[in-house]
Amino acid sequence: MNLFRVLDISGSALLAERQRAEVVASNLANAESTHTADGGPYKRMHVVFGAHPMQTHGFAMTLASFTDMNAEGVRVDRVVQDGAPPIRRFEPGHPDADADGYVSYPAINPVEEVVNLMGAARAYQLNASAVQSTRNMIQASIDIIKS
Amino acid sequence: MSFLDSAGTDLLARYLDLSAMRQSLITSNIANIDTPGYRTRDIDFHGELQRALEGDSSGTTEPVVREVQGLIARPDGNNVSIDRESMLLSEVQLQFSAAEQLIKSDFKILNMAINGGSGGS
Repeated sequence: MNLFRVLDISGSALLAERQRAEVVASNLANAESTHTADGGPYKRMHVVFGAHPMQTHGFAMTLASFTDMNAEGVRVDRVVQDGAPPIRRFEPGHPDADADGYVSYPAINPVEEVVNLMGAARAYQLNASAVQSTRNMIQASIDIIKS
Repeated sequence: MSFLDSAGTDLLARYLDLSAMRQSLITSNIANIDTPGYRTRDIDFHGELQRALEGDSSGTTEPVVREVQGLIARPDGNNVSIDRESMLLSEVQLQFSAAEQLIKSDFKILNMAINGGSGGS
């Protein structure tokens, strides 16, 4: 069994959780964006995670002694747009107001986004401790050689 | 079997192997904590070790990876439990370092024998 590959699994999760945090940050930042490059208000984004067998490569490949335990890493499969209709507010003076004086705002609930952000941060921490634990195991194996 | 690789060392090596495998599965479970539909997976650590004890210490047989039963699934079908995984994470790490210490002491004794009892390292 190759412990270096285990680090890759945690690494994939660190990357995926960071991407999730980025998307959430973008949602929060654009909570009031009434127009985007392709017209209409900003649409809330979601990440969809998927489990994928890890690819062994490079240095890890040369060390791989055991067959893969089909342990899976994670990656962001897609970033999808939320289909919720925009929130309409009556602001006749707003440059993005329609003929009736209503402005379409993105259907973003900042509380929901912050909760999502906390989830991403916690998951990131957990994976970081997994890295730490695997690191200690690798260090312990190296100590056998030293003894 | 030569005196250099005693049955004890073989078994400890298997123990380390199994711990490392388990670590890989736990890490994978943790990585997929937010993946919809992902099911927690594990190996039967003691069962596999028992198999190794019963003579099959060659380490050639693949441990069986199975889905863990009895965990509560979330609405998205994912049943990874943070508590279970973080608890196992520290457990496996301790098991690993215990086996590692035992291997080290095995080698120390061997070294002592080589040096005519004049000391360890």
